[in-house]
Amino acid sequence: MTNLDDQKQVQLDRMRFTKNLLGSRLVYLAILFNVLYFVSVYESDVGNWYYQALIGVSVVYNLVFMLVAFLSSEGVKNYKTGYGYVLLGLGAGQIARIFILPLMAHSAITKRSDPVLKKVLEVPVMEDPQFFWIVVFLCLSAACCIAAGAISVERSKKLAAYNASLSEMAA
Amino acid sequence: MANISLQHLNKIYDNKVQAVYDFNLEVKDGEFIVLVGPSGCGKSTTLRMIAGLEDITEGKLLLDGQDITAAPAKDRDMSMVFQNYALYGHMTVYENMAFSLTLRKEDPNVIHKKVLAAAEILRLTDQLNKKPKQLSGGQRQRVAMGRAIVRNPKVFLFDEPLSNLDAKLRGATRREILLLHKRMHATMLYVTHDQTEALTLADRIVCMSMGHVQQVGTPLELYDTPANIFVASFIGLPPMNFFPATVQGDHLSGKYFDLSLNEEEQALLKNYQGKEITLGVRPENISEGGDVEVQVVNNENLGMNTLVHGRLKGQNAQDAAITCKLRGWCDYKAGDTVKVSFDKRHFFDQETTNAIR
Repeated sequence: MTNLDDQKQVQLDRMRFTKNLLGSRLVYLAILFNVLYFVSVYESDVGNWYYQALIGVSVVYNLVFMLVAFLSSEGVKNYKTGYGYVLLGLGAGQIARIFILPLMAHSAITKRSDPVLKKVLEVPVMEDPQFFWIVVFLCLSAACCIAAGAISVERSKKLAAYNASLSEMAA
Repeated sequence: MANISLQHLNKIYDNKVQAVYDFNLEVKDGEFIVLVGPSGCGKSTTLRMIAGLEDITEGKLLLDGQDITAAPAKDRDMSMVFQNYALYGHMTVYENMAFSLTLRKEDPNVIHKKVLAAAEILRLTDQLNKKPKQLSGGQRQRVAMGRAIVRNPKVFLFDEPLSNLDAKLRGATRREILLLHKRMHATMLYVTHDQTEALTLADRIVCMSMGHVQQVGTPLELYDTPANIFVASFIGLPPMNFFPATVQGDHLSGKYFDLSLNEEEQALLKNYQGKEITLGVRPENISEGGDVEVQVVNNENLGMNTLVHGRLKGQNAQDAAITCKLRGWCDYKAGDTVKVSFDKRHFFDQETTNAIR
């Protein structure tokens, strides 16, 4: 029998009937920060640098990220351990992304013709402030994914063990 | 403690229709009161006035001596269970039951304990993770009751909670409500048009018609000593038979029968000598063997009893129709003649329709 005088035990028992909303909401936050990231990254002054296959890959990855993250948020809401690991992977992916498109854009120089000065200027594709915010958004998105994943794995394992102990007692 | 005092309650709607007339009732702590009557008699309106869902046009409503006539519904510490359950379809049973406490921002661990305790009482523990659509009608109604229980209100209000259930489930859920009342000993007010529910559940019944209270009393009082023809006809199944009859000395003469009156009945009717009154006889107070002749129209065997629908002396007039609930299995054919006696008789004044006492 569940000891309802023990607060920790009650908290554990509650998980049988309540959803893992913390994990799920953290994933929604991760998606939100990812949206802020890709809205910001496409604000770059790409000039003649824009048309690269990497941009296409980035767009597709954003779509995949949002889809998988959303599915995972539903999974972790119902204490499914596997989705917790998927979120840890997605979090790592968000960190890794900083070193691909944003860093490349930050280091790249593009040519832009100035109609006033009537000459071609060489400017960075991504200025420092833009790069800073992009890194912040991706880091926050990664942090949310990793936190959601870690919390969810821990909770789902606890719940599984608790359910197993209840089954044993019932048997 | 939850004593309720309803003092001269009147309800007049904006279109000037009066739904409730001068309703007075004292409900004691832990009492189970059933408001019963036909559709449109004002019973639900009265309950809604108590709940705070309808304004009280005139009168006072006191809860434990405190005037709550104008208090909003949320401040009355009452829980209402509706006929249509009013559950949230997207929430699980657990979430539905916990919802009102979550809104009050109670500690989740406390909510959990309350929900589990209510689920245990209502035998819903195995259903807590299900959505309402996965439950039967009876289980949904139990969830609605659970939602009321977790709030631990002073008063429970039930507005025809069993009307959406089939007959078998209605019986089972009725017994559960009765057990719930015994277990919680809470003050409960229950509205129904079903007299079986009223008789089986109530400590006291309030019988209403056309917005007026007809009689307040225990189920046995309403059944045994109905205050008037309305109560006599409404309480009891099949309903009471009524016949016009004239008091003549120690006899009661009807169109189709002549009955001798015992001393007690003679004393009761001494002011009605030569006058016409209404005789009431419950079908179950009629037995085989006697002087009253009934021609059988149809015969319904119920196992332990037989319902015999017939005509007094074979007459087709409306006041000759009679229903008898005879003991045992009878195999009468249409047209057979049965001689019966009226074992227990009720007398009503024809002008006022009140019982003669």
